[in-house]
Amino acid sequence: MRIEHKSDVVIGLEIHIQANTLTKLFCSCPTQGSEEPNTRTCEVCLGMPGSKPVLNKKAVESALKLCLALKCSINPELIFSRKSYFYPDMAKNYQISQYEIPMAKDGKLKLAAGKEIRLRRVHLEEDPAALVHPGHIQKSPYVLVDYNRSGNPLIEVVTEPDMESPEEARDFMKQLITVLEYLEIFDSNTCIIKADANVSIKESSYVRAEVKNITGFKEIERALNYEVERQRQAVSEGKKLKQETLAWDSEKGATFLLRAKETEEDYGYIVDPDLTAVDLTNEWVSELRRNLPELAADKVQKFITKHNIPEEDAKIIAAEKELAELFELVAEDIDPALAAKWLRRELMRVLNYNKKTFSEVSMDEKHMIDLLKLVESKTITEKVAQRLLEKLVEKPFDVKEYVKKEKLGAVSDEKEIEKFCREAVKENPKAVEDYRKGEEKALNFIVGKVMQKTRGKATPKEVNEILKRMIK
Amino acid sequence: MAISKGRRLFKADVGFKMNTLSFVQQVKKKEIDIVEHISKTIDELKKINKAYHYFNIISEEGALAQARELRKNPKGKLAGIAVSVKDSICVKGIESTAGSRILKGYRPLFDATAVEQAKKEGAIIVGKTSQDEFGFGGFSVNVGLDYEIPNNPFDASRSCGGSSGGAAGITQKITIPHIAFGESTGGSIACPASFCGVFGLCPTYGRVSRYGLIDFGNSLDKIGTLGKTAEDAALLLNVISGYDKKDSTSLNVPVDDYLSYAGKSIKGMKIGVVKEAFGSALDKGVEKHVRQGISNLESEGARCEDVSLPLSVKYGIPTYYLIGTSEASTNLAKLCGMRYGISEKLEGNFNEYFSKVRSKHFGEEAKRRIILGTFARMVGYRDAFYLKALKVRTRITEEYQKAFRKYDALVSPTVPILPPKFSEIEKLSLLQTYMMDQLLVGPNLAGLPHLNVPVGFEKGLPVGMLLIGNHLQEGKLIQLGSKVEK
Amino acid sequence: MEIDKELLKHVANVARLKLTDSELNKFLPQLKEVMEAFSRLEDVDTSKTVSSIQPVALRNVMREDKPGKCLGQEDALSQTKLKENGYFKGPKIV
Repeated sequence: MRIEHKSDVVIGLEIHIQANTLTKLFCSCPTQGSEEPNTRTCEVCLGMPGSKPVLNKKAVESALKLCLALKCSINPELIFSRKSYFYPDMAKNYQISQYEIPMAKDGKLKLAAGKEIRLRRVHLEEDPAALVHPGHIQKSPYVLVDYNRSGNPLIEVVTEPDMESPEEARDFMKQLITVLEYLEIFDSNTCIIKADANVSIKESSYVRAEVKNITGFKEIERALNYEVERQRQAVSEGKKLKQETLAWDSEKGATFLLRAKETEEDYGYIVDPDLTAVDLTNEWVSELRRNLPELAADKVQKFITKHNIPEEDAKIIAAEKELAELFELVAEDIDPALAAKWLRRELMRVLNYNKKTFSEVSMDEKHMIDLLKLVESKTITEKVAQRLLEKLVEKPFDVKEYVKKEKLGAVSDEKEIEKFCREAVKENPKAVEDYRKGEEKALNFIVGKVMQKTRGKATPKEVNEILKRMIK
Repeated sequence: MAISKGRRLFKADVGFKMNTLSFVQQVKKKEIDIVEHISKTIDELKKINKAYHYFNIISEEGALAQARELRKNPKGKLAGIAVSVKDSICVKGIESTAGSRILKGYRPLFDATAVEQAKKEGAIIVGKTSQDEFGFGGFSVNVGLDYEIPNNPFDASRSCGGSSGGAAGITQKITIPHIAFGESTGGSIACPASFCGVFGLCPTYGRVSRYGLIDFGNSLDKIGTLGKTAEDAALLLNVISGYDKKDSTSLNVPVDDYLSYAGKSIKGMKIGVVKEAFGSALDKGVEKHVRQGISNLESEGARCEDVSLPLSVKYGIPTYYLIGTSEASTNLAKLCGMRYGISEKLEGNFNEYFSKVRSKHFGEEAKRRIILGTFARMVGYRDAFYLKALKVRTRITEEYQKAFRKYDALVSPTVPILPPKFSEIEKLSLLQTYMMDQLLVGPNLAGLPHLNVPVGFEKGLPVGMLLIGNHLQEGKLIQLGSKVEK
Repeated sequence: MEIDKELLKHVANVARLKLTDSELNKFLPQLKEVMEAFSRLEDVDTSKTVSSIQPVALRNVMREDKPGKCLGQEDALSQTKLKENGYFKGPKIV
């Protein structure tokens, strides 16, 4: 089927998501635990002759939830196939996957900017083992294989080639991860998400290269930027591009050739006769649909309509599930607009600075509520609150106690501020002189001195007004 | 008759006639010293093996250790019975290679579930029997590289049948209580049972767990039993049948007492005689004895009449070989010189290494079947071969189901010929050797239980009659089979 | 049905088998004859037939997501000489 492309860059993604089940897809080995090689293996995931697979029901449910969240149409039957190919990371030299009829098809996912990416199919398959290349991948004399990963449940999502830039590809991955976290079928701390990207450019009449095994959404943008540039460079040098399979070397920051791909790989699919068909009944799917948690898009709507906060703030807060839940709890006790501002701006700033997500810190909604109550009642200034938030993210503590103990309460007693102002004026005659001459900046200097004296507990605005009165 | 400890147990005339059940009773009452008995058994096996090659491995240490354990507390339905296991069925710690050099050194870390169940009931595993490599054959001549071909117990220049040749051979030749594990994909229990003159019982697909069976065709493989009597075959089947959660294709239905059917009246049972099985290709000597067997059933009160199964006999062979080799070619892909079995020096890239190991250590028939199976599921051929065969199998199964609405069982010769000489087999074309299975592939494709019943000797060679039952009707087969012998 | 030496070599290669000339010459007529005979399957009317995975009724077999026993590193590696530092050894990929 010839697809008529028009854009400069055409990108399609095949994403592999490790579902967070306790055990592997076809055996009861744990998916988490010891990282010593080959300690979470059994005869099944090692492909030992005589062993047989048995399907993990929870993995099917996790995949079904994703299909529902991605608005796919779900097939009434689940059938597994054997995809045959030889590779050192394959326990059986066939992968149990799905071929003719995937679990679901025709779904969609919206990017942050609103563009909808169509999804061709979603299916379940098992993960191969992990390869270690002694020395460097391209030069090692042999490989070392760890089967701890072999048999892990993977949900594969295949998009249509609807993305038109590496940024869009990155955004797609981010949106997908948000959905996965909301569904609680993926834990970014313990599970892995990888993608193969098909990328082509207008200049070559869209000759496709496949870049395999890119881990994480940041790497996607890096790898695709490199590859688009490489293709453009090649075309400008007069080279003819060929359909190729490449790998992404994250350390070197470059793609390299794995194999030329003249023809479609023939995987010799057969239905796996060791497994039975599974009925994906209306009852089962409806029950899962009923119990689906509210997803990010729904939360954004709710925040806008119920709490009246701006769409942009709502989107940023809803992008991370734990943050959205935090907001909902805080907004029960605190003015939502204030809560939104503090979460979207201040909290995100501190988290980004520490390179953490909210789920990785120990502070909870109680700390946030305590802090924002003090801000709301003007008991502490915003500056003090910012400092306290930084401390809370590092290590949580009782906010009210701390403020009391350290006497961080805002200095709102005008008499006290006046006292500090008089002192500052007396101590900085030159600045006062400069201000009287018309230099506005000199006043800020004196305000700064007053703030030092109050240890930030006065509001700059108030100090400014008092000084202006005084210095006239 | 009480037998005191220390007295020499077996004389030549006692062996064959010893009733298995009374033997088990005597073991449980400690009237037989099981360790001494097994020691003598091993000696006998070694002696037989020198001439007949029924065993790839005789497990002397293991068997004696089991006997010593059993002697402390003799119990179980199979207490003290020597049980041989076809090499493709995993026994923990004992080299299990499915008769192939590529698996040399593989000592499974687990027992097949069926073996585990037999051990629990006091069976003594005495060794792994010889077979066509991975089950690829009907004469046990396609043994793997470096393996010996088993010889027919009645004429050493002739074939045992296959692929469970060693199992059938030892079942006939041995003189002490013994039951064999066999395995059938396209007829590999019934065929050798016929050529060696023993009962071979292949149960319904899924009746016995396949966990621990080294795969040939996953939708076709069944573990079954071989014995000198129908009762013996039934006794082991009783023990090894049942649901196993480790095998997704294991049937979760109650296990019948197959042994209890032996000797029951067969009066009024209706039996369909498969018309297409009595064509021009059928050896006249075989036909004579099979017709006699049918006549015996009639004289016991069964009603026999012709039934036509056009699809099964005409299209069974291509259907079976296309599905079987398609599945087998994927099953054998894992054998590549990594993780277990034989390996070579790690030279070259992975494609070069895998090709080297596989080309060097697979036997000829294994290579042919891998190629056939790979071809049948390739783009461009898949629809006409693999997918088509799946559909024809359904039609064949439906044909049998229709027949079973009318009949309790079906009957035909097991194999159209007498056990051939090895020299005759060499002259057959590949297609001709495949066609030998034509009376057996039908029930195997449809997953139907079937039983080979020895019905006499022609020119000193055994003839076998095949009884086929509907799914889960193993009992009826025992009932009928126990009435045939006169 | 056109099975020639090239196709045979190709299929063997897909299955990671390198056939000698003598094997190629022996197998080719054998497989040709067999595949020719097998193509008579096309005579069977299966237009209304739905195929099943196993010959007996089996559906919906699944298990609970409960961790079970693992082999342990030593046992896992016990069946081969090709191992190093707890890893299996295999042939290189490039």
